Amino acid sequence: MTELLQFVITGVTVGMVYSLIALGFVLIWKSSGVANLALGQLVLISSWFTYGMLVQVGLPLWLGFPAVILFALALGWIIEKFALRPLIAQPILSLITVTLGVAFFIEGATSFIWPKSVAALPRFFPQATVHIGTAVVSQEYLWAAVISFILFVLLSLYFKYHRMGIVMRAAADDQLAVQACGIPVTKIFSMAWMLACILAAIGGILMSSIGGITFGLTETGLKAFSVVILGGLDSFLGAIVAGPIIGLAESLGGGYLTPLTWPGVREIIPYITIIIVMFLKPYGLFGEARIERI
Amino acid sequence: MNLKKILKIAVAACLAFIVTTIPLLSAGCAGEPSNGDKVKVGFSICYTGVAAEKGRPMGDGILDCMKYVNEELNGVDGHQIEVIWRDNQYDAAKAGTIISELMNKGCLFFTTNSSKMMGASMEIANRAEFAGFSVFSAPALTHPPQHIYGQMPDYGDDWAAFVRYYVDNIWQGSGKPKMALHLLNNPTGYGVRDAARALADEMGIDIVAIEEHSATTISETESLTRIKSLNPDILYISSTPQPTSIIIKNAVELGMYPGITIACGHASLTSALIDLGGASAEGVYGVFPTVNWDDDVPAMAKMTEYCQNYHPDDYGNMDYITTWAEGLIVAEILRLSIENVGIDALTPQAVEEYGFKKLDNFDVGGLHGAVNYNPGDNRLSKSVRVFQIQNGEIMPISGWVEAPLIKYEDFEWFGK
Amino acid sequence: MNVDLPAGTRNYTYAQDMAIFRTRTHWGLFLGLLAAMLTMPLYLGNYWLSVANLIGITIIAATGLNILTGYCGQLSIGHAGFIAVGAYTSAILTNRFELPFLVGLICAGIAAGAIGIIFGLPSMRVKGFYLAISTIAAQFIIIWVINHWNSMTGGFTGIRVPPASIGGVSFVSQASQFYLIVATTAMSVFFARNLARTKAGRAFIAIRDNDLAAEVMGINLFRYKLTAFFIGCFLAGIAGSLLAHRIGYINAENFTLMGSILYIAMIIIGGAGTTIGPIFGVIFIQMLQQGITLISPTLESIFALPAGFTAGIGPMVLGLIIVLFLILEPRGLAHRWTLFKTSCRLWPFSY
Repeated sequence: MTELLQFVITGVTVGMVYSLIALGFVLIWKSSGVANLALGQLVLISSWFTYGMLVQVGLPLWLGFPAVILFALALGWIIEKFALRPLIAQPILSLITVTLGVAFFIEGATSFIWPKSVAALPRFFPQATVHIGTAVVSQEYLWAAVISFILFVLLSLYFKYHRMGIVMRAAADDQLAVQACGIPVTKIFSMAWMLACILAAIGGILMSSIGGITFGLTETGLKAFSVVILGGLDSFLGAIVAGPIIGLAESLGGGYLTPLTWPGVREIIPYITIIIVMFLKPYGLFGEARIERI
Repeated sequence: MNLKKILKIAVAACLAFIVTTIPLLSAGCAGEPSNGDKVKVGFSICYTGVAAEKGRPMGDGILDCMKYVNEELNGVDGHQIEVIWRDNQYDAAKAGTIISELMNKGCLFFTTNSSKMMGASMEIANRAEFAGFSVFSAPALTHPPQHIYGQMPDYGDDWAAFVRYYVDNIWQGSGKPKMALHLLNNPTGYGVRDAARALADEMGIDIVAIEEHSATTISETESLTRIKSLNPDILYISSTPQPTSIIIKNAVELGMYPGITIACGHASLTSALIDLGGASAEGVYGVFPTVNWDDDVPAMAKMTEYCQNYHPDDYGNMDYITTWAEGLIVAEILRLSIENVGIDALTPQAVEEYGFKKLDNFDVGGLHGAVNYNPGDNRLSKSVRVFQIQNGEIMPISGWVEAPLIKYEDFEWFGK
Repeated sequence: MNVDLPAGTRNYTYAQDMAIFRTRTHWGLFLGLLAAMLTMPLYLGNYWLSVANLIGITIIAATGLNILTGYCGQLSIGHAGFIAVGAYTSAILTNRFELPFLVGLICAGIAAGAIGIIFGLPSMRVKGFYLAISTIAAQFIIIWVINHWNSMTGGFTGIRVPPASIGGVSFVSQASQFYLIVATTAMSVFFARNLARTKAGRAFIAIRDNDLAAEVMGINLFRYKLTAFFIGCFLAGIAGSLLAHRIGYINAENFTLMGSILYIAMIIIGGAGTTIGPIFGVIFIQMLQQGITLISPTLESIFALPAGFTAGIGPMVLGLIIVLFLILEPRGLAHRWTLFKTSCRLWPFSY
């Protein structure tokens, strides 16, 4: 029983971290219909930039974080302007592949500027652990969970009520109609990428304060893909609900299946989950089923 | 008309073909064997690519050492070593083409840094009876013994040597100590599982759990919860610094550590572990196959001088030491072969027979355990030292501990 | 069709119209190329032969991916996983069960194809990005199983593979492997070329362009999508088998997600949906990589480069090339090649 509680709490808190990264993916999909496979690389480069600002340059936190946000804005703008804008209205295959190109480029640029492979960020959060019943959880995960929940609320409100948010949804629905209304679509895409990069940066800072900065951060993007497939590509609610579900599946599956199967079964549980989900609910738990016409 | 056109196009095609193949021809023509003053040795180095962080200081180390041998020692018995090195970018397909090139260029033998790159080249070398050794190795390279050698003990040897030390010096209780293994999901981690499978009973240790983690893990609370319920006395981690630090931190959170003994293999034991683990990593044991910088051993002075002259960035990096030692072994192998068969009769086969197999307690300037060839054991050096993290520093706490030879090839479960 | 032919050449029968080699020029060029290929081991050293072998194997795999992604429009980012299935099937059959190489080769293709069908099943319900993620999932699941199914695959330790041999002839040297690989590659490419012109090939293209419209036209999506998965993965399996016998010792680290992504890059750069495209793409990428390998020691010794320079430059150049090709040359090198052929045909009167 004590084990179960520990598994549940670990799963949910770790899952909230996945949600955080997934929100950035949903944001871009919702506003421009582009699948961003460079998600992990965005997380990686913004973590390294944070490291550069806080550790190498030695800026204090109140100056370092705004610098990271500015960097993320610039990064989003550049990616959209130079890689995606020339491909507007191209087939989905090209759009997905171009983000792969961007991913390679960022990966190269990162090892170019920061040839080290491992680094530690200063610790932002208190180190003491929190006890919930018989289970323990480190504060870092709790903070990450709280922050991703706040971001979820903000994003949902933004997309629901803010003019720009509504325009973004409209643009994803029908680019042509939005353009006909006199709204500059390119500006919207640019905006979406900038926001997404900020989310990736926040995610990166949280992830790397937990586990340090390594090349492996690129694979967190893959975890986020399982989350968005389960939750639905265009749903913030999906991302915030599916994250903990994937986290729980990993934790409980790892906890109770490992003795029955091979060690490390936890690693593939998210992938098995999404393949099953694709059969049962192809558009995810909260995704909008699109009706296609010829 | 049509015939003319065919001719024209045929001629154009021939010309284009010749033009494109000339550079290929010049680059690829069969190499002449080593003769006269120079002896050729091939180096396949992961200088760039995803493992560049380790590969680069290792590449610097071996190239600096070759420079030292050629310039200050005037080569081997007056014969300069011709260094032919290629960057394999930690890419298996590329390692396969590089080994062909090195053989083609007439190298006498070759070396590479990592077990993965050696794995990708070794069968091509074995089929051609072209000897070589790998700085970091894995059981699959040297078992069954063929033409590939391992310079330093592999991760399984780490474990065996540590257990030997643990049972003799740390274990206080009665009965068999209970050990849990936490392994990275690659050969680094699973080398330990194989060693444990082969030797645990014999060494008097009880393996209670084998858990696996990935290089990108952010929480191991779940697996540690299960380990905790089994009450182990010792947790052995074979991994790289980042996951190791996560496991240690989570063990602290769960109240397992301090309390049990935690130890790790040599891939984890770097300064990055201390950076990432912080105070949690205090008291953790680990093994490492080389000495530290500034230790008082004969080869230290020259190595430090070259490192600071040519690659000051690498100073303090343990990987540089491993390949400086590699360079000394290369020179020793060549010295032995020239002494035994003479410079004119050097062939890859002769170098293996009279160089590799005649290595006898060569001390490698004290940089790591003595290098020895015993028939049936293709590990060149077999010893590690035990370290402990004390006050944020990695301190040696033992002398050289030799890892016993594990005859993996005798076990049914070992991959053929 | 006549646009593709030199002026004055006419087709008088259907057989003529369908032939791959239609004019004497075609035959001449083909025979010249054949002669050049077959004599290559005479003047290429072992190193370039091994590069050529690598290119040949990669072409087979890329051709498979091209059928799946380029013709049928089903994006697969798990190709390296299917190659791994082929490699391991062949390794297990020839090593553990000591079956002949040819049996291993064929079974490798069939096993990879079968696994491909299983992971292609989601394509019934989803497409585009969803499918891409399910193929990534396929890659991870396949590699995980390989790593843990110790008794069969040797697990993380890996498995040794005997050299390929057919009827007592053993393909150990690079030159002998070269003939084996060239023959297999030629057969695969020829098969792919012809496949594109069959009923199935046309169905693939219809599905790629608009699967809904294709279905309305009476194309059985279920059947053809899975056929595409089978054929694409079959070729991946063949490539995997050849690869395994070539390197002689495999473990799962040879088959990475990065590898899968590179295959996508190759067919995009070469020109997806053409037969010649993957060939160009593979040669381009492989030569680029070999070039970086050959040049970097020289660069290092001449210039004092910053520490991460060579580490970063490879992926950066590759990423840049992918982006630039998509933007500037979305139809790939194959399109350039068509333009070049056309201008040759009309030379010297290119109007």
